[in-house]
Amino acid sequence: MADKLIELKDIVKIYGKQIQTKVLHEVSLDIDSGEFLSIIGPSGSGKTTLLNIIGTLDDATSGKIFFSGKNITDMDNDQLAAFRNNNLGFIFQFHHLLPEFTCLENVLIPSWIKEKRPNDKKLKRAKELLSLVGLEKVMNNKSTDISGGQQQRVAIARALINEPSLILADEPTGNLDSESGDQVYSLLRDVNKKLNTTFIVVTHDRHIAEKSDRVVEMLDGRIDNDYLTSPKKR
Amino acid sequence: MLYEWKMAIRFLTDGKAQTLFILLGISVGVAVQVFLSSLIGGLQVDLVNSTIGTSPQITINPAKQSFQNDERAVYINNPVKEDRISDYIDIVSGLDDIKEITAVSPSVQGNAFYNQGGASAPLFIKGIDMERADRIYNIKNRIIEGSSVIDATRLLIGKDFSEEYNLDSGDIINITMPDSQIQKFIVGGIFDLENQNLNSGWAFADISRAQRIYDLGGYISNIELQVRDPFEADIVASNIESSYQDISADNWKDENAQLLSALTSQSSSSYTIQAFVLLAIALGISSVLAVSVVQKSKQIGILKAMGTTSSSASRIFLLQGAVLGLIGSVFGVVLGLGLTQLFLIGTESSGGRAFPLLIERRNIILVIIISTLAGTVSSLVPARKSSKLSPMEVIRNG
Repeated sequence: MADKLIELKDIVKIYGKQIQTKVLHEVSLDIDSGEFLSIIGPSGSGKTTLLNIIGTLDDATSGKIFFSGKNITDMDNDQLAAFRNNNLGFIFQFHHLLPEFTCLENVLIPSWIKEKRPNDKKLKRAKELLSLVGLEKVMNNKSTDISGGQQQRVAIARALINEPSLILADEPTGNLDSESGDQVYSLLRDVNKKLNTTFIVVTHDRHIAEKSDRVVEMLDGRIDNDYLTSPKKR
Repeated sequence: MLYEWKMAIRFLTDGKAQTLFILLGISVGVAVQVFLSSLIGGLQVDLVNSTIGTSPQITINPAKQSFQNDERAVYINNPVKEDRISDYIDIVSGLDDIKEITAVSPSVQGNAFYNQGGASAPLFIKGIDMERADRIYNIKNRIIEGSSVIDATRLLIGKDFSEEYNLDSGDIINITMPDSQIQKFIVGGIFDLENQNLNSGWAFADISRAQRIYDLGGYISNIELQVRDPFEADIVASNIESSYQDISADNWKDENAQLLSALTSQSSSSYTIQAFVLLAIALGISSVLAVSVVQKSKQIGILKAMGTTSSSASRIFLLQGAVLGLIGSVFGVVLGLGLTQLFLIGTESSGGRAFPLLIERRNIILVIIISTLAGTVSSLVPARKSSKLSPMEVIRNG
């Protein structure tokens, strides 16, 4: 059995002060290292909120999160920033590349944040990652001068630069046509297999979810269903 | 720190038009500051120079004795007369050694009359040592006729006096002393000290001759000084008073209180204008960066999601403020110096009296430092906003 990477314990999220909306009801979930997990569910089911809480971008109203056995719920903002920088990679529905920078620079930004200054090792790795996602030819283009599918691939390379153990993806193919969507998806699977990086992918596309190792279905802020797509694991 | 620099510079260069406009705004403001400070500075130096540049800044006179106020003071062995300084040779050589003092000129002075064809004109006779007095009055360079040599027989008279009584160098003149004695002099030369009072009423004579005609053998009337920094004249004067007995040292600042207060209020109005210009610059930088934080909020959110700390996020904007302040003020200094040159050319070609504008390197460096600091300070509010941005806000709103 693989190591437990993430452990969620009774995560509750309530929005609003006067009118309180409970979006997550005591959600508990364990995710193993190296797993490729999809979270699906109708909109408003709390899947993106859950992803943001795992990614420490949003904080839970109550409950605890353990990352590699360490409680990250009580970290302060600077500790969380360093934690995200070292351990997490984000892929958003909208690629969220910085338009002021080239593709190569965008890939390098998380390493700049980590190491404060550029270094040759990371530059080499960034180029390798860009060729992994098939974009070595456009790496010096401004990030706004490439297609949507290419932008999302740059975002994937960026998520990988600091060798994170967990990548969080929110509808990574949601904004792409089905062909580029499939390309991006198989790229994620590739990375998962080659680098043993854990993936949590939020999607509403059941077709894509079926291709992952494990599917968590959410409904009304609760986990409605949690199953493995192929019984060989676990 | 390095990547924050990279972000700051890239954010600035990305919004080119916006950055150029604010740089232009800062430059114009700084140019006004540079121009104004060199104009006012130059004007003041010119005013001070024309007031005291070629006149004594400190005059050492015999102390006024007041027996009424101090009944215990009995001067028996050393009777001091109010119109003379006795041991002046010691005092002069002592003053010569003081660094702050640039010129020391003992003089013997008194009134006399010049008679010509029944009319008589008052003449102020100043007995001097030419080498020493020249350092204060700049006489040698301002002789318009004859020579500057004064001795037992020759004296120098002013331009206006010579014109009025039709005197040339080489003429012999009779001068009536207060005791009705008549002294003969040869006009050795005619000076133009660019001051009507002096040109029409003063005559420079040799100090020994003056001592003789005023019966002041071994004594002098006063000692005139110039100092390195005229604005320190009062301090130097009070030091002199405390080092020597029986003298009083008067300085130009006490005698020109009105001029000084005019200079002070001129300076303070110039500082006020500069302060408001600086405020306008700071507000400009602040508002441009405030807009920029909103424009770049998505980028900041993404950076934060990727691990940028709040303090880094605020530094990105502090650096932008500092860079704008620095570059803007450097351009502004260049522009301001250009303006001063234009002003000089303009005043000269329109026939106005050009005076040197005072451009001090220290001032310019100060302007640049202050503007850079102001840029940094004015970016505090935008920087704080940037540090408080939550990555969630940005990512949720796409």
